[in-house]
Amino acid sequence: MANSLAEQLANLRDTRVWRSIFRSGFGPTNLHRALAVQQNVFLHLSSVKIRKRSLSFRVTWFLGTLSLGTFLILVATGIPLMLYYHPSVPQAYADMKDLRFAVSAGVFLRNLHRWSAHAMVLLVFAHLFKVFYRGAYRPPREFNWVIGVVLLMLTLFLSYTGYLLPWDQLAFWAITVGSNLISAVPVFGTKIRFLVLGGHTVNANALLRFYVLHCVVLPLAAAIFVAIHFWRIRKDGGIYSGEIKKP
Amino acid sequence: MSLPKRVRSAWQYLFGNSASAFGTLSGVLLILLAVVPAKDYFREWLGYQKQYLRLIHGRGDATSLSRRFQGGLQQIWMPELGVVDRCTTCHTALKEASLADVKTQPFRPHPAIPHKLTEFGCVICHRGQGAATTVEEAHNSTKSWEEPILPARYLEASCGQCHLDRLMGTPRLNQGRDALAQYGCVRCHTIKSPDGVTMTGSDAPPPLQHIADKTTREWIAAWLKNPQAYAGSATMPNFQLADDETRDISAFLIAQSTPYQTHKGTEPAPAASQDTAALQEGTSLYGESFCSSCHAMQNTAGMLVGGNLGPELTRAGSKVKTEWLADWLRDPKTYDPDTRMPHYRLDAKEVGLLIGFLSSKSDSDFLGNTQLAAATPAQVEHGKTLVIERGCANCHAINGVKKPDNFAPELTLVGSRPLERILFAPGVPHTLADYIGAKIRQPRSFGNALKMPQYTLAPQQVDALATALLAQTQLAQTLPVSLRIPGRAPSHYRPAGKAGQLIDDMRCFSCHKIDGRGGDMAPELTWEGSSVERAWLVSFLKNPNTLRPSLIRRMPKFNVTDAEASTLADYIMTVYQTPAFDQETLDSSRFTPADVEHGKELFYGKYACQSCHIVDPNKDKGYIGPTLTQVGARLTASWIFHWLKNSQSLRPGTQEPVWNMNDEDARAVTAFLVAQKNAPRKEAAQK
Repeated sequence: MANSLAEQLANLRDTRVWRSIFRSGFGPTNLHRALAVQQNVFLHLSSVKIRKRSLSFRVTWFLGTLSLGTFLILVATGIPLMLYYHPSVPQAYADMKDLRFAVSAGVFLRNLHRWSAHAMVLLVFAHLFKVFYRGAYRPPREFNWVIGVVLLMLTLFLSYTGYLLPWDQLAFWAITVGSNLISAVPVFGTKIRFLVLGGHTVNANALLRFYVLHCVVLPLAAAIFVAIHFWRIRKDGGIYSGEIKKP
Repeated sequence: MSLPKRVRSAWQYLFGNSASAFGTLSGVLLILLAVVPAKDYFREWLGYQKQYLRLIHGRGDATSLSRRFQGGLQQIWMPELGVVDRCTTCHTALKEASLADVKTQPFRPHPAIPHKLTEFGCVICHRGQGAATTVEEAHNSTKSWEEPILPARYLEASCGQCHLDRLMGTPRLNQGRDALAQYGCVRCHTIKSPDGVTMTGSDAPPPLQHIADKTTREWIAAWLKNPQAYAGSATMPNFQLADDETRDISAFLIAQSTPYQTHKGTEPAPAASQDTAALQEGTSLYGESFCSSCHAMQNTAGMLVGGNLGPELTRAGSKVKTEWLADWLRDPKTYDPDTRMPHYRLDAKEVGLLIGFLSSKSDSDFLGNTQLAAATPAQVEHGKTLVIERGCANCHAINGVKKPDNFAPELTLVGSRPLERILFAPGVPHTLADYIGAKIRQPRSFGNALKMPQYTLAPQQVDALATALLAQTQLAQTLPVSLRIPGRAPSHYRPAGKAGQLIDDMRCFSCHKIDGRGGDMAPELTWEGSSVERAWLVSFLKNPNTLRPSLIRRMPKFNVTDAEASTLADYIMTVYQTPAFDQETLDSSRFTPADVEHGKELFYGKYACQSCHIVDPNKDKGYIGPTLTQVGARLTASWIFHWLKNSQSLRPGTQEPVWNMNDEDARAVTAFLVAQKNAPRKEAAQK
């Protein structure tokens, strides 16, 4: 059975359709492996070859991968949540109640989104600490460190904008306090706050703005920066796995 | 194999290489994810629906019940009212009257109510969280929902959100609203109805500008200390003042008092008649004048007898000065232009008799402990400060002290006050209803510095007040205006001319309502001219006799002159005419004896009017409605006719049943009643 399955797979790989999609051939050589990575839009973000050492838990604690994982969970749970949510003042909180009481697995969906969001913030912080203490930010990786800091900011903004969406008292006052911090910026403070909230107080406009930021602008920005981040890992010589000790 | 070794080998098996670790972790994740559909399946409401199906299984009407039963999540959704009520998911049998014997919730059918269950949903009346589908979240106050189910005893509050008028079915709400006005709550607290009308007090706190002429400083001090010690029925609450505070306030009140324009000088004050014969005569005059229609007095058994429109007079002799009382009895308006007390046209002898009787009603114990030295200016000054602090001027007119604005918190939205903003006294359950109840019962339990005085209220009154206050919700303001049944707007009707002066002089509005203004102790007079015969009216004004044998309170005799009675009757007959019918619709001269006989049959047979009315005092036993022995002399034929056809359209809320008589029957019964012109006095006396 197993043989026949393998045979069928092998036959499948020989078909014209398969070859039109995956242009690299199938074979045991390093060339084949390299091509498989290089000719795939997603895989080619990472290196064709990496050191085995850099895959060990000790080196990274998998913090970058885990951050990416939580990001993917957030996208996967966020999309169905968008189906149940209206960013409008009368409806937003009622939608929370619907998710809790009427939607099948709504509580699971919301909790998974919420806890993953908390986890992502923690993991991204931890990732940056790990990189910092290991000195992995040093040349040639200094640009990627900056990208990482930008990604941290994006993570925090995502978390902050998402906090308003349940439209409960906690949300309202958190954003009120937060946006008042903005107005402490010299000269342009209140202007920036007006821009962020779409008004002078947290209201319908603020809810809509935060919703668009949370669901469209910030995730897209994060995806783009993540792509650059991964691509730069390859370009900067792969994952930093410590100094190569000279004999 | 030892335990650690076993564990190690199991670990090796599960996580030994990356392939088995991946497999194991995937398995664990799968099991964890299986919790999600499992939790969905074991939701509370599914259990209740299964229980319901088991409950109806063995019943006779199981087939029709189960056909009407709808499984799955149910909700009443009315976006325009903001209603999303999922209560019917578990309360499956609300409309199943055949399950009346079922006493277990959530399967009890809903009691009959004037609204359809799907008209407003559940939460608008019962509160709680309509969107919730768990017992805890739907009924209780939780972290994400503050408003628990409203206890049944306050439920009428919900009616009051739309019904600003008086509903027959909400006695507790009506009582509460009355009490808010009657106990002067609304004099310190602003309370606005959802239609924007500010509630006004229905009590009559006396002005204190001339108090020194009326009573003594000692009485004021003793009264302030505990008003209920003077009169158990006093509406003034206990301000829990210390002795030095009552001393200083009484000093200030006497000091601010100015003399009023009295009868003094024009005629001598009648001497109080105190001998036994005069006392007896005074007692009967008090009774004959029907003072007790408004004033209560404790009888020898300690029972309070009389009305509550005026102050209790049990200890009046300890309170008022006789010169003042003489003036007051002659014409109360000279002392208090806004008093509800009518101007009795008493002669000097009668005044003297009443003074004698009332002076005998004294209680030496009441003032026994009050010894006051002459007031110092410092005490008067301190007294004024206290009067301002305690807000006395909210109710009483006092020289030199203005009525404060917004003295106490506004209560327009108290029924929606968020719990997070309430400071609960220890031991009070954390619900709004309990908070309001506790606050009314014992205001100072929330802090000694609070100004709210201590009322003496029965538990039912507290519940009624809480009910009326709980009706003051945010929802009541935001509901569509079309749902609102407005209350009667306050009327400032003033009759004109000479008759108007007489009506004002005799304070008819204290008891009678005309055109929306006035009290509800006596019949409304708005259409009186359409209903009565002029001759009867004149004789009634001169000597009012009771129409309803079951009533103790009745109209006092004001001793009006012939000219006054005639002026009043003319005015009433001309102005107070209903537009509902034409006096000429029925010509009573065309009634035949056959009509009268037929009417009599209908009266005693088909409609059994004698259950409530008396036509033949020897036979009939009806004591509910007015006696009809002379109704033909009292009421016009047209009025009787239209009254029989639809009494509610003439006087809404009357106890007379709606008969919907056809014209023929109504005409016959009218003929019979019109024939009742003279009381069969002789036979009645014999009986």
